[in-house]
Amino acid sequence: MADASIARPAAPARTSDGLGQLLARHGALVGLVLLVLFNLAFTPNFVSWQTLNVNLTQVAAIVIVAVGMTLVIATGGIDLSVGSLMAISGALAPLILLGQILPMPHPLLAVALAFVLPVLVAGAFGWFNGFLITRYRIQPIVATLVLFIAGRGIAQVVTNGNLQVFRNPEFQVIGLGRLFGIPVQVILMLILVAGAAWMLRRTLFGRQILAVGGNEQAARLAGIPVASVKRRVYLISGLCAGLAGLVVIAINSASDANLIGLGMELDAIAAVAVGGTLLAGGRASITGTLLGALIIQLVRYTLLANGVPDSAALVAKAGLIVLAVWLQQGRKST
Amino acid sequence: MFRRSVVKLAAAAAVIALGVGSATAQELPKLEPKDSYKVGFAQTESNNPWRIAQTKSMQDEAQKRGWQLVYTDAAGSAAKQVADVNSMIAQGVDAIFLAPREEKPLIPAVMAAKRAGIPVILLDRSVDPSLAEAGRDYVTFIGSDFIEEGRRAGEWLAQTTGGKAKIIELQGTTGSSPANDRAKGFADAIQAHPEMEVVASQSGDFARDKGRQVAETLLQAHPDATAIYAHNDEMAVGAIAAVEAAGKVPGKDITIVSIDGTRDALQAIIDGKLGATVECSPFFGPVAYDTLVKYANGETIPPKIINEDRFFDASNAQELIAEAY
Repeated sequence: MADASIARPAAPARTSDGLGQLLARHGALVGLVLLVLFNLAFTPNFVSWQTLNVNLTQVAAIVIVAVGMTLVIATGGIDLSVGSLMAISGALAPLILLGQILPMPHPLLAVALAFVLPVLVAGAFGWFNGFLITRYRIQPIVATLVLFIAGRGIAQVVTNGNLQVFRNPEFQVIGLGRLFGIPVQVILMLILVAGAAWMLRRTLFGRQILAVGGNEQAARLAGIPVASVKRRVYLISGLCAGLAGLVVIAINSASDANLIGLGMELDAIAAVAVGGTLLAGGRASITGTLLGALIIQLVRYTLLANGVPDSAALVAKAGLIVLAVWLQQGRKST
Repeated sequence: MFRRSVVKLAAAAAVIALGVGSATAQELPKLEPKDSYKVGFAQTESNNPWRIAQTKSMQDEAQKRGWQLVYTDAAGSAAKQVADVNSMIAQGVDAIFLAPREEKPLIPAVMAAKRAGIPVILLDRSVDPSLAEAGRDYVTFIGSDFIEEGRRAGEWLAQTTGGKAKIIELQGTTGSSPANDRAKGFADAIQAHPEMEVVASQSGDFARDKGRQVAETLLQAHPDATAIYAHNDEMAVGAIAAVEAAGKVPGKDITIVSIDGTRDALQAIIDGKLGATVECSPFFGPVAYDTLVKYANGETIPPKIINEDRFFDASNAQELIAEAY
């Protein structure tokens, strides 16, 4: 319902230039505002801190993954393996915590390693994606498909497919803890968003990412180390996925290699697309991605809270992506 | 490409099986009484604790009896499961235990085994009754009664809440038979109590994370809810986390009941967070092999053998948690 009302004012985009421009540039923000207005009118008990809390904690994992995905897409690539990398990191952490890989001399050391090692492993797999893409010139969608399939298998092998249950307050801070009343994963999410936005806009690496995505040939001729830039963005995407995997298992105090991050790649890509990042590369908006993820989350919340089945939420999500791509098309032509 | 070759292989195996076993066309194949059998177990997938416990029970019991077990895992693919059954036929097993992934696609496997003169016993899920019949095409079905599970959960909740509750229902995977039947049994049970009402019902996909997120949302939209009914324990454990996140006390503000009987759920009952859980036993080994022995001895086997499922609540969780999976 909400997306229909976004669509209607967007219709005259081709005739009136000003409104079209406005919508194309701030489409995601307009959509989010409309969704919030709809909820204020129709959803019971929407106005409360707990609603904000629920939505922010649920969206955090998607945003963390989507930040990495935005950088990858900005170089003209795509990373299908993020969900599986979440599974790998989420499967490794409890093994380390419970001392099943190697005995831990000190519980705090175990916690520290459980934070660091899984993320690094996921990062290494991400780098491997970049390696396949740059060294063997495999298309990103195919290269990352390898780990999309194999990654979950690896996670299942290391855990024997068993559900791992653990209880460790120090480790679970990342999913259950609060700083000044704000959930820790929300703080992590905001730091990542701010950091990535700054990097993209202000640093050499950020400009290189956009240059590679805009015109790879020209970037190479201009002396930009294209292969190295690409490997680094896939590495970052892997690290982000690893972190998101830890957040998910910490909230649930259990790790199920079969389910962690299942379908996350699609949520993340959808968030990036809705947020206005060009899927062909060369232009990226981290804040747009944040807004895109919030829209997807809020659509799901709205439909659930109003008793619409989950299957319909999937259709609504697809509708949003179509709308976002259509808006992008409009922007290109103006 | 792999899948295509699997299908081809399956087709080839089916043709061979057809040629070999065409003599025994109509009635159920017989089984000779022996001391030890070579049996096949075609598992549908092994990606959750319940399936893993079921496989382990089949393997342990075979080992205990000194039987030879040919085990295959279809990894969630009906086509592979058909191929698995055909390869068991080719290996000349005495009997096949099949946990059919879907109702219709597994019919060819059942029929191929029948033609090859190998009796089939279905475990935990059944096949389309209009296409294959117990006592004619396969020996029997062994499993739990999902409707009954839902009914017992509903009755416990009615009793505990004094017939007064606003219930959030976390359903299983949309369209799956356990989800449909558990919803139906529960609805039947609470129908007799006019003050019990399901205020929201959504799918949590039988998964802990999804169950938690859905419960968080529904609790927010329905702050007057007093009970949660989850179609399995994983979602119930997720719901407990959601209740706590909403600043309420599970077991006190919100009564939670579910189905399965996992170790985590029993621990939650001991901790006072989960009210009760209806067992859906994965321990098929003993009853499955006993049934086969009875069949070989010429005893009549009923078309359906329903597992005796226990009921876990505060009175027995402590005592039985060691047996849980």
